[in-house]
Amino acid sequence: MNLALDHAWLIAALPAAASLLIQLMPSRAERWAGPLAVGAGALAALLALLAALAVAGGATAAGSLRWAPAADGVIALGYRIDGLAAALIAMVAPVSAVIQLFAIGYMAHDPRQARFFGFTTLFSAAMLTAVIADNLLLLFIAWEVMGLCSYLLIGFWYERDGAAMRPAPREAAIKAFLITRVGDVLFLLGIALLWHETGSLHFGTAPGQLFAPEALAHLAATPALPGIPAASLAALLLFAGTVGKSAQFPLHVWLPDAMAGPTPVSALIHAATMVAAGVFLVARTYPIFAASSILPWVAAIGALTAVGAALVALVQTDLKRVLAYSTISQLGFMVAALGIGAWGAAIFHLITHACFKALLFLGAGAIIHAMEQAVGHDGPTQDIRAMGGLRRHMPLTFVTYLLGAAALAGLPPLAGFWSKDEIVAHALTHGAWGVAAALLAASLLTAAYLTRQVWLVFFGSFRGGATVPHDATGAMRLPLVLLAAAAVLVGGINLPWQHGLSDLIGAEVGAFHPGIAALATLVALAGGGLGWALRGIATDADLAQPNARGALALLAQGYRLDMLYRRSFGAAIDVAMNLRRWVDRAIIGRLIALVGTTAGLVGRITASIDDIVLQGGADLAGRGVDELGGEVRRSATGRIQDALALVVGGVVLFAVAAVTLLRP
Amino acid sequence: MGVLAAAATPPWLTMVLLTPLVGAVLAWAAAGARLDATLVRRGALAWSTIPLGIVIALWAAFDPQAVGLQFVERVPWVEAIRVEYAVGVDGLSFPLVLLTAVLTPLALALAWREDERVATHVALIMVLQAALFGCFVSLNFFFFFICWELSLIPAYLLIDGWGRDPARRRGAAQTFVIYTIVASLGLLLPFQLVYLATAHAGRPTLDLIELGRLGTGQSGMAGGDLQALVFAYLDAQRFSDTLGRFPLLYASLLFWAIFVALAVKLALWPLHTWLPDAYAEAPVAGSIMLAGVMSKLGAYGMLRVALPLFPEAAQLAAPFVGALALSGVIVGALGALRHATGDMKRMLAYTSINHMGYVGLAVAAAAAAPDTTSRALAIDGALFQLVAHGLSTAALFIVIAWITRHTGSHDARACAGLRSRAPRLAGAAGIAMFANLGLPGLAGFVGEFYIMRAVWASAPLYALGATAGLVITGLALLRWYGQVFHGAPRGPHHAGPALVEVLALAPVLVGLVALGLYPAPILDLINRTALSLAAALAGGPSS
Repeated sequence: MNLALDHAWLIAALPAAASLLIQLMPSRAERWAGPLAVGAGALAALLALLAALAVAGGATAAGSLRWAPAADGVIALGYRIDGLAAALIAMVAPVSAVIQLFAIGYMAHDPRQARFFGFTTLFSAAMLTAVIADNLLLLFIAWEVMGLCSYLLIGFWYERDGAAMRPAPREAAIKAFLITRVGDVLFLLGIALLWHETGSLHFGTAPGQLFAPEALAHLAATPALPGIPAASLAALLLFAGTVGKSAQFPLHVWLPDAMAGPTPVSALIHAATMVAAGVFLVARTYPIFAASSILPWVAAIGALTAVGAALVALVQTDLKRVLAYSTISQLGFMVAALGIGAWGAAIFHLITHACFKALLFLGAGAIIHAMEQAVGHDGPTQDIRAMGGLRRHMPLTFVTYLLGAAALAGLPPLAGFWSKDEIVAHALTHGAWGVAAALLAASLLTAAYLTRQVWLVFFGSFRGGATVPHDATGAMRLPLVLLAAAAVLVGGINLPWQHGLSDLIGAEVGAFHPGIAALATLVALAGGGLGWALRGIATDADLAQPNARGALALLAQGYRLDMLYRRSFGAAIDVAMNLRRWVDRAIIGRLIALVGTTAGLVGRITASIDDIVLQGGADLAGRGVDELGGEVRRSATGRIQDALALVVGGVVLFAVAAVTLLRP
Repeated sequence: MGVLAAAATPPWLTMVLLTPLVGAVLAWAAAGARLDATLVRRGALAWSTIPLGIVIALWAAFDPQAVGLQFVERVPWVEAIRVEYAVGVDGLSFPLVLLTAVLTPLALALAWREDERVATHVALIMVLQAALFGCFVSLNFFFFFICWELSLIPAYLLIDGWGRDPARRRGAAQTFVIYTIVASLGLLLPFQLVYLATAHAGRPTLDLIELGRLGTGQSGMAGGDLQALVFAYLDAQRFSDTLGRFPLLYASLLFWAIFVALAVKLALWPLHTWLPDAYAEAPVAGSIMLAGVMSKLGAYGMLRVALPLFPEAAQLAAPFVGALALSGVIVGALGALRHATGDMKRMLAYTSINHMGYVGLAVAAAAAAPDTTSRALAIDGALFQLVAHGLSTAALFIVIAWITRHTGSHDARACAGLRSRAPRLAGAAGIAMFANLGLPGLAGFVGEFYIMRAVWASAPLYALGATAGLVITGLALLRWYGQVFHGAPRGPHHAGPALVEVLALAPVLVGLVALGLYPAPILDLINRTALSLAAALAGGPSS
């Protein structure tokens, strides 16, 4: 058992090695890319589960290497498997492996196998590295590599063009990378701040490390900017990274477009794992947040995002965009939980959400795959208005999707019920009434949009034409079953009477109140009713067209934030760009031209520079320089001017001569 | 003199200096003998591995724990003005010597594509290499300045003779040279004064290291630090009757004169306007040498000369230096964005302005950060950034040269979907681009990380402003990449990079990845010198 823990670095290194191998393999071996990725992923998953069990038994593992000297110190990067890391690797590694297994089937007909699996394994390696990192710098490096993988995989079909409401993958990739980068550079500043103030980036509590009591006290007491304690500023900057990566308002706009990537990527990166890294970051650096005063803001952002995104999900007509807004909303739940102090519940919801959201996305992938056969690649493969009746044609997908949706809606006793209830209960029992109300409203909407979606996709009769889609075969079936089982069962890791996860990660055990649980269940059921009542909403007109007006259109277009950003930040950058050009040409250019004219003069007299500057100085700079020149003439060391003037003059003459001589 | 004979080790640095010059002479001789151009190309490339080999051997022998200079050679030269031929390297210069040695073979490999006056072309590249080596290893202002000016000649001729647009290259070359020559007066005149001041105090010197020790008050010379000596001299000339008795004023004037001369080389805003034209018009080998190595001279000079000679003036100037650098960061980013879907070399030129802006910020932080640690990190970061930027920019210039050759246009809009046609090139370009925009895990990040840390310690708002540049440059590069490589393929099928390009790109890409994952090999070279310089700078003004 400790064998796994002793070699815990392999959990991240195995996918990394697989990635390298896949990307370097000759093209005729490309068909082995998928199996290799799944093999490495499965091995990593096995190691991760064994390591997590060992950690649950009280063991830990750590190791580090010197990375670089840094002034009078050294930066060492390493890993540390503590409870939090163990909980996360036990989720990330298996879910990644299962999704990659699905991808073997889903991507079977794509000619770029090696590229796909090379990037997804690199992604797994980065996510696992971020989780087991023992310091903020390594976490950031892995965090950014995930961003890179996200860019590469969203833009995987880089040659495709966009369509109405479906951005070109290459545009979506840039958008995702750039908007998360806005958060990331602020995160980087936060790291700079913490390194500067505490002298360490290591997640340890020993003296000289980041979470040492004296370091935290120093952060809380020292103002970093006037009026802002370092702890609050650091927490704010780190949280900016979370807002970007975990797609929280106002930086969430990249995630819906990220659905342009292949659906297994959406499942892996843009639902189950990477987007959760932001939540993990806050949980990992919770001591700093606890020492800061920004937690209420964290809670507010989370609650706002949870409700706002759920509302948008209610009127989407694209199968994956519903799930994308759902992901944003659920990440809002987690962030709100972090903000009210329930970080254990946030991690719990992160884990359960990963399972059922991965399931929903793979289900969506199975549907899209089948739709492609039914309506063609260029048909409305993701439009839920063109689906319907798939319950009969795709029974396996239907059953598993329904389980995932029920888990997400929070119906007992499925996984989402336990984790969501823990968050709501914490809010209600700690007086966070606003957050509780928002999250309950979001729960209502969650059940509503899921009901609407499930109804439109699976019930009624097929609206997409004569050919009906069929269930997937082969490698795509097992992942659905495995994840459905997880969606049902994974709540068991932190039941009110068997709180293994809370014990493992060292979080406060969540309160359980039958009344609150009943309330949450009633809200979910009511939401189901609401969704059934609204099942026809926003399906007739194309509200996504930019000229559509009205409240529904505003929702359908995600509050038109994209347009707002384009017209504010985009326009500001355009103005700045033109201003830059004008300054360069009209001001600096003219100044330089002026200097150039003078320089022409100087050029003519370079050969006699000695006379002008030093001996004839009186004409130029008055008596002082004259005396300087006089002194120079008198001193025995006066030859230096001659020597140096010779250099300049000689160089210029040589240049002129060389130019004329070398001309053809 | 027998000095060389008496030295225990061979004069390695002198050999590094002379080899390219000999190579240039050989190339010209070969041209005179009407040897085949291919032979000249191969010979030049092979020859350039000699200095590379020596420098790599020196890398292995370099002691990262040693304080001070290594591989020093000193020979008396112009006795009248106490000038020695003195060369040596330390943590400030050796990474740049290494960079020069690595990038020159790449430039020569890319010169492979040049069919016009091949021998002269490669000879000029080698002369430029020698001059740049000379700047970095010189320990005496006299020799430093000769090399500084000498480097202009081949640079000018490369742009003027082999530039891409016959109508514009002459103008670009002249702007570049006039800018630099005018600015170099800012080096020449202050050093004359410094020489006179030290002569006045009885110890005339142009030794850069000694002047640095003098400037930071470490030399123990009677009369105080350099600022005091300069003032004493000017006072003795009754100069102070006119301008007043303010030692810091005179030191500041000298500092700014020197700084401006160096800032032109570094293309710090608003002295950057020569750069886009020069980089855009230069042949690819010239672009690599200019952007990869020559612009680094400016930053090197700031750390070697401007800060140590007048640390108090530098500290006073730091907020302004930082503001100029920050402007450069933003201006470079916006310029790059403007050209992202236009002239590719111009786009890259503006990203260079952006990246050198970070180095300028680091110089400001090295001059004024409140603690020695931050100052040392600023120096670490600046030098690492120079090396990483040299590598990634060279790689991107190689990629762009390939694209231009195959599409016949330097406009990014002339191509689309190249990734389908030349996937390996697209991969190489991707690595270079992400290294250039500072993606963690690649070399470009390390320097920026250290610089951000150091700048944060001295001026958090500057660091905050600089992040805008990180985002906008990222947008510019990604747009460029999307324009060129993504989308549906257009035009004829391309074969992908040829052997020459692969050979040139591969080591750079390996270096970018390796140094990003494990930067210690370069940072170890720098760190000890950075620490002692930082300590001297931090201790200088107060003591």
